Amino acid sequence: MTDKITDPVALWQKMIGEMEKGFNSFATKAMETPEFSQAMNRAGGVAAGAQRQFGDLMEKYLLSMNLPSREQMTGIAERLQSIEGQLGEIKSMLSQMSAASSGSQIGAAPRPPRTKRPPPDSGEPK
Amino acid sequence: MNAPTGLDLASIPERIQSEVQRAIMRSIKGVEDFSTSGPTLGSTPKDVLHSRGTMSLYHYRPMSDEIYRVPVLIVMATTNRGYILDLVPGQSFIEFLLKRGYDVYMLDWSAPRPEEKSLGMEDYVLDFIPDCVRRVQQDSGEQDVSVIGYCFGGVLSLLYGSIFGDGPMKNLICFTTPIDFREMKLFSNFSDRRYFDVDRLVDSVGNVPPEMILSSFEMLRPASRTVSQIQLWENIWNDEFVKSYRMFDRWATDTLPLAGEYFRAITKDLMWDNKLFNDTMSVGGRAVKLENIKVPILHAVAEHDHIVPYDAAKHLITKIGSEDKEEVMLKGGHVSLVAGANAIKRLWPKLDTWLGKRST
Repeated sequence: MTDKITDPVALWQKMIGEMEKGFNSFATKAMETPEFSQAMNRAGGVAAGAQRQFGDLMEKYLLSMNLPSREQMTGIAERLQSIEGQLGEIKSMLSQMSAASSGSQIGAAPRPPRTKRPPPDSGEPK
Repeated sequence: MNAPTGLDLASIPERIQSEVQRAIMRSIKGVEDFSTSGPTLGSTPKDVLHSRGTMSLYHYRPMSDEIYRVPVLIVMATTNRGYILDLVPGQSFIEFLLKRGYDVYMLDWSAPRPEEKSLGMEDYVLDFIPDCVRRVQQDSGEQDVSVIGYCFGGVLSLLYGSIFGDGPMKNLICFTTPIDFREMKLFSNFSDRRYFDVDRLVDSVGNVPPEMILSSFEMLRPASRTVSQIQLWENIWNDEFVKSYRMFDRWATDTLPLAGEYFRAITKDLMWDNKLFNDTMSVGGRAVKLENIKVPILHAVAEHDHIVPYDAAKHLITKIGSEDKEEVMLKGGHVSLVAGANAIKRLWPKLDTWLGKRST
C-alpha cells in the first residue's frame, strides 16, 4: 500500500486543502477590516447608482417608443397576481366543498390515520 | 517494501496505471457529465396547497401506513430553495420524515416579483407564516403544528413563535439559526452602517439581486469555489462524487433575491441594532421576546458552520422561555448538517427521536 507521505497524489490533495484553508483565513482577516467594508461598499454604491440612472434612461426611452412603462407593467402584474390569488382561493374552496360532500379530497388518496406512536425505547419527553 | 526514502517502489507501476485509468475516465465522464442534465431534485410527490406571490405551501404525500398526530411545517430560509431538504430519493430529509410517519408541509419561497419589493418583515412573520399554519390546521384537521426552521427560516420561526406564544405551535426545531448578529463577523462588516447605505441600495434596485446574495456567501470562503472545481476535476471519474457535486452546486448557486423592505429590516434591525438578541425587536408593532417561546425546542448547530458561526447561535437556548429545550452540536457545516451523508447519519435520526415522542 502506498504511504500517504510519499504518495504524490495525496500530497497534492493535502497541499490544495492547506492552500484553501490558508487563503480563506488570510482573506477573512482582510475582509474583517473597516477599510475593506469601505472599499466594497463604495464600489457597490457606484454600481447601484449607475443601475438607477440606467433604469431612468430606459424608462424615458420606452416612453418615447410608445411602449408600456415599468409602472404600467407592474400594475398589470399586480392585477394578474390578484387574479392568481383569487383562482387559488376558488380552487381551495372547491376542494373543501368536494371534501365536505364526498368525505375525501379531489384526486387525493385517503390519508393514513394519525395514530402513530414513537418506538417504545425512545423515552418520554421532559 | 519501502525504500530508504520511504517510497514504496513496488506500488509505483500500479499507481501509474490507476492514475492513467482515471485520466481516461475523466475525459469520458467529463464529456458525459457536461452533456447531460443533473439529477432531478425535489421530486418527492407533493401537492401545492397554496401559492401567493413569493410564497408556496406544499403538502407532501404520506409514505407510511399511519402518521403522527401533529403535522410538521418546515419554514425554508428566504435566500434559498427548499429542495436542499429534498435532494434525491435516499438523500431527502423530506422523504426521511415521511417514511418515519410524519405529515410534512413546507413553506417555500420563489423569487419575489418586482412589485413585491415592499414586502417587509411583518409580511413574512404576521402574514405568510400564520396563513400557512392556518392552512396546515385546516388541511390536517389538527390544531397543533410543529415548526422546523432552517437558517433564516429559523429566525422567522422564532419571531413567529415569540409573537404567537399562545399557539398553535407545539414544537419548534431550529437548524443553524443565528440570533446574535454581531457574531456574524463578516456579514456584520460587509453591512457596516458607516459605509453601507442600505436605503440607497433598496431605493435603487428594489429587490436585492440574487448575485449580490450569492457573492456575499461566497466571499465568506473565497477560495472554496476554485478548490471545489479542482476537486471536481480530480474526481470526475467518480459518478457519486459528480452527482453530489452537481446537486449541491446547483442548489448553492440557485440563490433567491430578497424583497427590498425585508432586506432593509434585516440590515437595520438585525445586522445594525442586533434587536433580536437585545430583546428590542418588534414586528408590525408587536414586541418580540424570545422568552415568550414556551414550547419544546431543539436547536441543531454545526461544528464547522462558516455562515452561522456557533457564537452567533449559542445564546438561543438560554434566551428561550421553554423548560423543555435542547441544543445539539453535530459535525458538519451549514449545509452538510441538514443534507448529505452527514445529515443522514447524524441530524435526521436525532431529530426523529426528539420529535417523535412530542408529536402524539
